[in-house]
This record gives sequence, C-alpha cells and structure tokens, in this order.
Amino acid sequence: MPRSSDSKKRHHRAGSAPNEKQGPMVSVLLPTLNRPGYFAQALFSVVRQSYKNLQIIVVNDGGRDVSSVVDSCGDPRVIYINRKENRGKAFSLNEALERAEGKYIAYLDDDDLYYPDHIATLVEALENQTECQVAYSDLYKVYCSIQPDGSRLALGKVVEVSRDFDRFVMLYYNHVLHVSLLHRRDLIDRTGPYNEDLSVLIDWDMTRRLAFFSDFHHITDITGEFYSPVGDSDRISVRKRKDKSEYLRNALTIRTTRPPKPWPKIEDMSIILVTDRLDKQTAGTIGSIWRYSFYPYKLYLPLPQVDAGRFEAGVPNVVIVPVDSSVPGARRIDAALAVCDGEYVAVVPSGFDVTEMWLEDSLHALINSPLAGEAIELDRSTDALWAAVMRKSDLQSARNNFPDMSIRESLESAGITLRRPRPNEIPFQFDQLLAEAQRTEKAGDFSEAGRIYEHIAAGYENQLWMKSLAATAYFKAGEYSRAAQLTDELNRSRPTVDTLLLEARLKRKEKDFASSVDLLERAKCMLDEKELLWT
Amino acid sequence: MDMTKDQFDFTARSPGAAQQSEVQECAPTQHYEVLQELGDCHTHLGEHERAQRCYEKAASLEPDEPAPYVGLGVVALQKDLLDDAEIAFRVACRLDVRCAKAYAGLAMVAQQRADYKRAFEMYLKCLELDVDNLTALLGLFQTSCQMGSFARVIHYLQAYLNMHPGDTSVMFSLAALYMKDGRLARARTILLDVLALDPANTDAANLLEEVEQNITRTEQASEAGARL
Repeated sequence: MPRSSDSKKRHHRAGSAPNEKQGPMVSVLLPTLNRPGYFAQALFSVVRQSYKNLQIIVVNDGGRDVSSVVDSCGDPRVIYINRKENRGKAFSLNEALERAEGKYIAYLDDDDLYYPDHIATLVEALENQTECQVAYSDLYKVYCSIQPDGSRLALGKVVEVSRDFDRFVMLYYNHVLHVSLLHRRDLIDRTGPYNEDLSVLIDWDMTRRLAFFSDFHHITDITGEFYSPVGDSDRISVRKRKDKSEYLRNALTIRTTRPPKPWPKIEDMSIILVTDRLDKQTAGTIGSIWRYSFYPYKLYLPLPQVDAGRFEAGVPNVVIVPVDSSVPGARRIDAALAVCDGEYVAVVPSGFDVTEMWLEDSLHALINSPLAGEAIELDRSTDALWAAVMRKSDLQSARNNFPDMSIRESLESAGITLRRPRPNEIPFQFDQLLAEAQRTEKAGDFSEAGRIYEHIAAGYENQLWMKSLAATAYFKAGEYSRAAQLTDELNRSRPTVDTLLLEARLKRKEKDFASSVDLLERAKCMLDEKELLWT
Repeated sequence: MDMTKDQFDFTARSPGAAQQSEVQECAPTQHYEVLQELGDCHTHLGEHERAQRCYEKAASLEPDEPAPYVGLGVVALQKDLLDDAEIAFRVACRLDVRCAKAYAGLAMVAQQRADYKRAFEMYLKCLELDVDNLTALLGLFQTSCQMGSFARVIHYLQAYLNMHPGDTSVMFSLAALYMKDGRLARARTILLDVLALDPANTDAANLLEEVEQNITRTEQASEAGARL
C-alpha cells in the first residue's frame, strides 16, 4: 500500500546510498488540486517509468482527496500528503521537498504526463553525460479539446520551444519548462525553497535561482507532454495573468531575488548611483533601476548623513553608504566602492535615462570581452550624464592611482579603454534574429526567412527548433528540395508531428503516396500516443 | 501546468519571449490535417475504406471544414455511389460557398449522370472560384466536347495557360478546341509549341498533321473559290 502522510516508515534512505544497479534515487514531486481524473494519468505515468528508483511525493493542496487514486496504484514508492487547507503550489512543493530524499528532484503537475523514459533519460544525462547539476528535456504542448466526459482530445502536439540553456535569457525570462526539469536535490540548500509569497511565475523563480549555481544540460528528446485546453480562458493561471500589477509585482520580486552566495555561475554587479542628495529625481532613478534591471545587482547609494537617515527603502537591494556632505562626487563613489562586493561595477548618475536593456547591453559586452582593461559605456551615456560598467578591480586600480581625478579621467589615465558595446556584443542575438526571420515570413518572403532560420541554426544553437522552422518556410516558398533535405535530417534525429506531416506533404508532391501514408501514420501514432502508452 | 504556462507568457522585452507567447495563441489543427492528408493519400492509392475512415474522423475534429466532405464525396464518386457523393459535395458547399473543389465534385457527379448542362455550370462555377483547378478545366473541356460548345472553355484554358505556360496537356486541349472551332492557324502555333516542349508527344504530332491537312484543304478551297 502507498504510504500516507502519517507513515513513519521509509523504504529508501536518503539517496546517499544509491543502489548501483538501479541508479540514484529520484524524488518526483507531484502537487495536485481538484483534478483527480488527470491526476490519475499523471501519477500512473510516474509509477510506470522505466527508471525504478523513485520516491513519488503526492501533495494534495487542500482539494479533493485523491487517496483512492493513490491506493489504486498500490505502489509503495508513493508518499501521499493529504493536506486539508489550500496553501498554494509553492507551499506544496516546499512541503514535498522536506520529505524528498532522492539525489535528484523531478517535477510533474497533475494535468501533465511523463513518457516512460523521461526520468531515465534525464538521470543518464546528469550521471554520465555532463558536469551540469540540472538537466531538462523537450515536451510536447498538447492543444486539446475537453470532451463531455472530461477526457482530453489532442488537436495538435507541438514542441513550441526547444531552446538551449542561456543564462542571460534565464535571468530575463524562463525558457525551461519546469516539468521537464531534473536537478540535484542539494542545490535547494543553496537556492533556498520555493517563494511562497509569489502567486505566479513560481517555477521561473526557482529555475532562475538554480542558474546561479549550475549550467543546465538540454536534452532534445521529447519525454512528456503538457496540456493546453483550447478556449479555456477560465484557468487559474490565465486569470492570474490578467492581473497586471500583481504579475509585475511577482516579476520584480523574482528579478531582485539574490540567493545566498557564493554564486559559482554568476558574477555579481554593483551599481553605484551618484547623487548630491536624496531628491525626487534620485528616487525616480532608483525606481527605474529597480524596474528595468534584470541582471543581479546591489544598488549602492552614497548619501550625506542627513539624507541617509531619512531614506526609506521601498525597493530591495539598496545599500546606503553614509558620506560627509562636503565630500565631492568622485570621492563618494570611492566610499561606495570600498564596501561593494560585485565583480562588476556600474557608475551611474542620478537622472540617467534608465530604460529597457539600459545596462545589460554594456554588461553583456564586458562579460564576454576577451580583453582586460575595458570599461563599456552605457548606450545612453552622455558627457553630462556619463555612465559605464567596468570590472571592480579596474576601477579600484584607477582610483588608487588617480584619486583626485574624475572617474572617467582616472580610468583613462589608468589605461582602461572606454568604448561602447558593439552590435554583435549585445545579448539576445538569437532572439533578434528570430524576430527578423518571423518578420520576413510575415511579409511573405518565405525563402529569405528559411535562410535566416538556417543562419541562426548554424551560429546560435537551438538547431532542431530553427531547422524545423526553416523547413516549413522553404516548403511555403516552394523550395521543396531544401525543405525535403531538412525534414529528412530532422526526422532521422527527432521526428515530431510537425516534421512528419511536412515530410509527408513533400512526398505527396512527388506523388509518392505510399511513403506519405507511412509518415502520416507515424504522426497519427504520436497524436494518439497517450492512449497507446497509458491505457 | 499553470505556472509554466505563465512563464512563457511573460511580457518580455525579448522578441524570443514575445514569439513564444505569439505561438501559443494559435491552436494547431494538426490532428485534423494529418487525417485529411492521410485520407487524400489513401484515395490516391485507391484505398477507399481507409480514406473514408480518415475523412470521417477529420470531419469530427473540424466539423466546419469542407475538405473532409470533399474527400468523402470523391471516395463515393470512385465507388460509383453518386447519390452519396452529391450529398457530401453539397455539405461541403454549404460549409463554404467558395469551396471550388466541392463544385468540381458536383460537376463530376452531373457528368456521370450525363447531365452535361449542369456539369458545365458546376465546372464553370469551380473555375470562377479557382481558375487554377486543372480537374475542372479538363472536365469543362470534356463536357464542352460532349455539348459541342467551346467559346467559354477557351477562355478558361487560356487563363490557365497564362498561369502555367508550359502545361502541354492543357495546351493540347486548347489546340484541339481551336481546331474544332476552325481557328487552324492558332491551333498549329500551339501544337508547334507543345512539340518544342515535348518532341515525343505523338498525340500532338498527330493532331498537328491533321491541322496541317485542314489548313491545306482550306487554302486549296479558297484558291479554287478565288479562281471561280
């Protein structure tokens, strides 16, 4: 019988003693709330994993009791926490994490499914293929209609995003589906638990924090599916998303979250805001920095004692550095520099035009520059309102050697090169090119769009995703030969419903109806796969 | 998976994130498309029962789409079930009054019933909606031959050839119509073009020979007339 929440008996002890034959234990966290039908499918998809060394922690978040479903699977690996009060997803995940004993943690929502090799694929990757402590795979997004009996009819299965890990992107928005994630449990000791104050974007908050401590290994196998009922605008997530101020509050909370140091994968940044006094303009600049910065930072504010005393920190991560009111601007920066602990320092005057990507463009250029001794001016920097980002060590050296000069002069005197970021140094190159390809496609130039997609695939990772888009564009352009080459390549490495359908259409153009039927039958099987696998 | 969906809708400054949100908004009709394509392929392979099952399921997934009914009509037509075919094509027309293929289907049903006048009308209706429909064009050609009326057909064949200048089968049909209409010089020009594109086309060579003979006869007749 499955263990209930009051069971004290533990079949597996702390993943610390992995069974060599079985592999290390994986704790699968499965919170559920009032979806017993879908939950049953989700649970069975875990129970029937080919990877057997599992601890399956089901948390009922104050909804309908699902003990009958849990009992029906008769699996001793399942722990059922049947809580009466609804406390939210983050609370449920934390509750499950407290019980987790596996070396690794995996997640499943109650309306989603793993394919049979999901866990095995991810464990194999983390154990044998990579130094990363986090891995994720691709999933089908299943557009479905809900039938009168509550069952889901698949209208289409799409790998909507198959994006390779990019830390800068992860700091900005989530490009990794939480359900596809497997990570070492001990990372939670460093990230901290799920933030129970968040109402949306809970998953991104955790993946963002994980990115401080590990790279993510992307496996392009499709190992599960998540569902999107068509026309279901009453979903909780949709309703929550419509509350824009709440959404923004959550997003800003996440962006300003700084897990405890040390951060092996992220170098911290200090922003030193230069101002004479705490006035409306300075408050406005602080607010804009809070709103628009997504790279982790602390804001250092050297202020005269009188202002420092009346500063009320309405925004997080602000450090007041009290200075004597007679101390000039550059010396105030020196005072802040003495206490700040970021590897990078941005010097910004009050009143600076802070807007989207105001700092990250230059910072990204600096982080990726192979040359030492460079300071990158911000895009909107002027002589009157000069701002730049640099390595803290460079600035310290310049200030030590030329303490009586302005910041800019001291940097130049110290031989630090001041320059602007070049177009190819700014972040989100992939996204910019993708947008360009899509604009081209919308304008009807499918041939050119196909070439841009291929260009992206060649130089900016995300190969399967981009080649798939290229093949479709070439098909629309009537360039069947190139489309056929790409679909053939894609279907050999990772066939999807889309790529099989496209190749079938190409075969049909060649009047090869028999091959077309074979491909379409494979696509049809994929669309029916849930039934084939789990019923 | 509510929260994950939220993340992908994050109102981002990155075009990549925006793109992800955009993609999400349009629900695909893949399942329907796979079944429809599968039905079409089975039809081409003469596997009527399989085709019919695919079309029926496609119709259940997208009940407002005319294409599965066109497919069902074609299957019925191939099985010589003219009444069933007509019903299916009519349903397709009702779902989409601009469904050219449905009119072509109705025309074929009428042609099978030797109702050439209706077949002609339906083919014309189809071509009004889709001047590129080769089935309708050739059907119109056949029907007009059966009815002995060519003028309107010539217009559509010419329109088609403007879009597909190298289509020798349509060029041949047009040449045949010109010949029947007594426009021998134009017929000869087109047949010479056909043979330039396809020197092994014996039908065109034979028709050209016939046209040449007619031209000679006509010239001889007019010379004789002039002498008289």
